[in-house]
Amino acid sequence: MDGDVSAHSQEAEKETTRLWRTFRTVYEMLADRGYEVSDDELAISLDEFRQKYSDPMGYPDRNKMKIQARPTEDMKVKYTALPSKSNPNPQPDCGIIYVDFCPDASGVGTKQVRAFNHIVGDNNIHTGIFITQTPISPSAVRLLSSLPNHICEHFQEQDLLVNITRHELVPKHVLLSPEEKSRLLERYRLKESQLPRMQVSDPVARYLGLRRGQVVKIIRKSETAGRYASYRWVI
Amino acid sequence: MSSQRVSSPNNSNALKTSLPTAFASVVEESSYALPSQEEQEKYLEGRPGATSRHLGIALQHAQQIQAQKDAEDLILDRTIELLDIPTSPNADPAAPSTEDKQSFKTAMVLFRPGDYDNFIMERNYSELCGYGLCPHKNRKQVGATGSTFHFKYGAKGSGQGGRGRSVDIVPREMLEKWCSDECAERALFIRVQLSEQPVWERRADETEAIKIELLEEHRAKRQKKKAGPSTSASTEPETNEADITAGVENLKIHGAERSQELALERGDTVPRLRQGRVDVQLREKELSSDSSPAAPQLRPEDAMGGSIEGYVPQERQKESADHQDRDILDQL
Repeated sequence: MDGDVSAHSQEAEKETTRLWRTFRTVYEMLADRGYEVSDDELAISLDEFRQKYSDPMGYPDRNKMKIQARPTEDMKVKYTALPSKSNPNPQPDCGIIYVDFCPDASGVGTKQVRAFNHIVGDNNIHTGIFITQTPISPSAVRLLSSLPNHICEHFQEQDLLVNITRHELVPKHVLLSPEEKSRLLERYRLKESQLPRMQVSDPVARYLGLRRGQVVKIIRKSETAGRYASYRWVI
Repeated sequence: MSSQRVSSPNNSNALKTSLPTAFASVVEESSYALPSQEEQEKYLEGRPGATSRHLGIALQHAQQIQAQKDAEDLILDRTIELLDIPTSPNADPAAPSTEDKQSFKTAMVLFRPGDYDNFIMERNYSELCGYGLCPHKNRKQVGATGSTFHFKYGAKGSGQGGRGRSVDIVPREMLEKWCSDECAERALFIRVQLSEQPVWERRADETEAIKIELLEEHRAKRQKKKAGPSTSASTEPETNEADITAGVENLKIHGAERSQELALERGDTVPRLRQGRVDVQLREKELSSDSSPAAPQLRPEDAMGGSIEGYVPQERQKESADHQDRDILDQL
């Protein structure tokens, strides 16, 4: 009986640690995307996390772990299209982000995704991030992307265990605002289709929540030039 | 979603001979609106290199892509709807209710085997047997825990040469998809009937040709065939005649609705395709006269073999000149 309890608590401890790392990466991701995240939230320690989000058994309680964040002014500028004749006063195409951790340990299908879509659609949320423990079914993936005027993304917990952008081999990706993009194209006399490309399914693009048509500046260290910038058109 | 219900009674009646109701209703609803003439002209003004033909082709491809997206959405809708059948919790998978059977079959016409696998997975995720008409839960924990494979023993005498038992080694997850072996058989019987070709590429008659049959129906039919070929033979001609007369009556196109169905049946779902991409004009060749050609006649210059495409070899020319001289002398 004693051994059983310790095995349980070990298991719970392991899961809590894993989830804590995922949770921290989510906050870092939100901050990197340009949402308002406080320093306390970014630097949450394992003890604090355990206190806040674990159930009496010691296991993490995913139902409590819901995150909402608002975009900063900087982010709003980056997501505002250039004024045009037909649209002289464009509105920023970003808004409240909502992160939901799915509590089901296996078999996440359309049922859970429908509930998630419901929350996103009803609460005036612009972007939703759905985080599950296991892969979700193909129909669920389709359903997740079928919500008009909302953006829903999906991650697995294990994808976010480590923050990939903090790895030394991953260069810095900076999203360009529409104005910066038009200046870049003007300066090099390019059409956007003449830029090198990057897929929206690229891990870094997924991390930053990039959308089709945006341009990122990639800053690499270079032995000869010090720093080297290149650009990618997200398709 | 309710407007696209699989088998609304009035719809199923109207399209008896044509496409399955499900796809037809969607095609009608989402009549892909072409940009008006003005919009098209305005668009072309800004692009000096483009002609209306280019625009037409671009629009046609856009419509094809849209049709594909719509079809995929439809399949997703059906997958979700079918999670709710059978409607009663104690339905018998061997003898499903007519309504369930109907909606299941109509939806299955649209599915590809891959979609069907997704559907089974989706049902398993909501803890249901993979067979669409079965209300039971799927099996869990077949065999020893933690084993990936399971031994399945056949009946006595099913082994090689009629001795012993046959043994199948089956992955456990395959067994956990269903509530029983019977349901597995039923579900896989549906799967082999599905078409690999996606709906948006099928022609109307191909979609029509897909007739999904449940395992029980198939068995009943086979038994009937075996049991009484003599009795059925006597009734056949009558029904055939009745069918033919009904069919002839159906042939007439009544009004716009029927002609639209006909267009659907021919696969002319995209308006632009009706004329085709290339402007084809059939023109009969005009015959100048009705007289038959005259038979060739021997001309004097042909006596020596004639010319080779207008060229007369010089030696022969001399000869013929000599001949002519002589001939004239002879004549004189």
